[in-house]
Amino acid sequence: MTAEPSSFFTRRIIVVTGKGGTGKTTVSATLGLAAAHHGLSTLLVEVGAFEQLPRLITGRAEEPVGYRGRLLQPGIQAIRIEPFAALAEYLGLQIGSRRLVAQALRNRSLRQLLRGAPGWRELITLGKIWQLEQMEGPNGNPLYDLIIVDAPATGHGLTFLDIPHVARSAVQSGPLARNARRVEELIRDPKRTQILPVSLAEELPAQETGELVQRLRHDLGLVPDQVIVNAVAPPLPCPDPAELEQSLRRLQGDLPLTQLPQPESLADAVAHTSARHRLNQAYLIEIAERTGLPLVVLPLLDHGVNGPVELEALRPALIESGQGPGIVPPREPAS
Amino acid sequence: MKTIQSLDEILERRIVVCVGTGGVGKTTLAAALSVEAARRGRRALVVTIDPAKRLAGALGLNALEAEPQALPDSTLIDLGIETKQRLFAMMLDTQATFDGLVRKLAPAPEAQKRIFENPIYRHVSRNLAGSGEYAAMEKVFELLESTEFDLIVLDTPPAQNAVDFLDAPIRLLEFIESRLVRGLVQPALAAGRKGFRWFEGPTRRMLDLLERLIGVGFLRDLSDFLLAFESLSEGFADRAKQVRETLLGPDSAFLLVTGASRQTVQNAESFLDHLESQALPLAGLLINRMRLWPAGIAADSFKPGGDATDTPDLLTLRQAFERSHPEPQAAALAESARAVANQYNGWVNQDQENIEPLRKRAQDRGLFVRCLAERAGDVHDALGLRALSEELFDASAQDCHQ
Repeated sequence: MTAEPSSFFTRRIIVVTGKGGTGKTTVSATLGLAAAHHGLSTLLVEVGAFEQLPRLITGRAEEPVGYRGRLLQPGIQAIRIEPFAALAEYLGLQIGSRRLVAQALRNRSLRQLLRGAPGWRELITLGKIWQLEQMEGPNGNPLYDLIIVDAPATGHGLTFLDIPHVARSAVQSGPLARNARRVEELIRDPKRTQILPVSLAEELPAQETGELVQRLRHDLGLVPDQVIVNAVAPPLPCPDPAELEQSLRRLQGDLPLTQLPQPESLADAVAHTSARHRLNQAYLIEIAERTGLPLVVLPLLDHGVNGPVELEALRPALIESGQGPGIVPPREPAS
Repeated sequence: MKTIQSLDEILERRIVVCVGTGGVGKTTLAAALSVEAARRGRRALVVTIDPAKRLAGALGLNALEAEPQALPDSTLIDLGIETKQRLFAMMLDTQATFDGLVRKLAPAPEAQKRIFENPIYRHVSRNLAGSGEYAAMEKVFELLESTEFDLIVLDTPPAQNAVDFLDAPIRLLEFIESRLVRGLVQPALAAGRKGFRWFEGPTRRMLDLLERLIGVGFLRDLSDFLLAFESLSEGFADRAKQVRETLLGPDSAFLLVTGASRQTVQNAESFLDHLESQALPLAGLLINRMRLWPAGIAADSFKPGGDATDTPDLLTLRQAFERSHPEPQAAALAESARAVANQYNGWVNQDQENIEPLRKRAQDRGLFVRCLAERAGDVHDALGLRALSEELFDASAQDCHQ
């Protein structure tokens, strides 16, 4: 079922996307740990209103990292791109006066306009990601070897990725058009950017993942390397679930059990667990067929994903399911 | 306003809004609520976001469309609804809603054509994040205006977009009423840059700044677009206000839907914070996809690990199996049964632990809480939807505590 995925760490940017509830944040965090583990200087980017990654990485309640960002642990920096802050920074660079921009952004009319105006948040967020990609450390190498973006859910996620193109076709020339083009080039450059769809092996996520991959191909000309399928139920801890269920159902009447549920409830649990497993397996095939892409399967963990312990448990399945770890050294500075 | 004590009372409202993060089953639960409402004789409409083909199938429709469709009689029968009742379903379609609005509010064909051909309109109505939420508000207004339906069950876009959905009317109002937008729609502006001279002080400086940053062409397109929309903007503002008033008023109820995984529950808690800060009329909490034992089995009666302690049970099972199976199969079956039970019980305990903070918080606030067991597969036909609906409203159902 699982094919050999090409390496995760050969690009500068991984945009993790997929239907809501599929585990994009879990996958982003696991990739972040894996990258740091292999010595890459990694930046985790959140774009939503609620920060989730820091808590997942450290396993404890964290103060918001916000727009300034914070080092969560050696090799893992996190930032939440807040559109108003990014806009202030961008305008400050464009105009050359932070003071003027701060004053302008306090203007009530402009704030009202911005709150209602669609599209600019996505554009400025991607613009910030472009800037982060360009940043250099003291030695002239990229400051971040890998930038992992925990992107919005699919429908909105695709809009998110397509915004530079939309902006560019609406604005033909000027600084905005120039900047939008640079961002669009980054997003559409398969050498620098990888789009990573995350799915569940269930009906709606399978359907939506198929549509996402089609639209990425068709609208953005992008072909993901692989699809992550998260929380796939493991086989039952018994050799023949069907026989076990039947045998339990054939037991007549209640048994003098002290702790285990009665056979009928046990049979229900076997049937349910077994049905979930079969369902997942069937949708794995469907996702592979719909997308035509290799799948990387992450197991359903018994105790959910709560912090670094579980991320560490997922890491081998995510990273080592292909041909070796596939890590490349940080890229050489451009000559 | 009377506090809602149960799901039954929810069905007496005019509009029920299902909110929550993605992947928790909001759409299917919204459909199940509308089925029960129809069964009780209310003309109900379910408005979904997801174009889920199987859900359409379960409702007896080929596909959900942008306008309400009545379910066929054969499906009503399968759903346990008397055929003299009616149940409707539709899907929100952003583009269709925007176009419909233009046709309604700009009756002249030339005006319509000008709007439809404006590049900014095409982008706004099709592509831009946020336009879906605006369109949803418009559609909700139209549906509330109509007297065709007693109850509208509204599914919302997932996660942070649902917050957007709730905030959309305010943002829209601010956008329309902002002086900059007012400025841009001044007819003089359409003629070109000299229009900016009409403004003085900060607004003028702001327009200059915008132009410098974005470029003249874009501003001209934008002012054309806003000009074309001028006849609509009054309508927009009034409608958005009314929708918000209705959503905040006594005719509406919000249902927060969540799953039982740790992260989903944490997201639901953030959601709850937001709903409370907005003073939205949240009525209850639906915790979907819980792994539960059948009623009457207490998960905590299992001992942790359960390896040594349930040896007597293992022996009991083994002896029971021995009546039909020779050894060593009987012993193997007993061992397997225990292994599956332990694994399943671990999940049940985990889900209980995950939901506890949220459940307690909801109960402390007087919200009703209802848990639903995880199903083996997706709802894919009318009978499955009926079963879900019956489970949802089963008065004898256990509460969330195992």
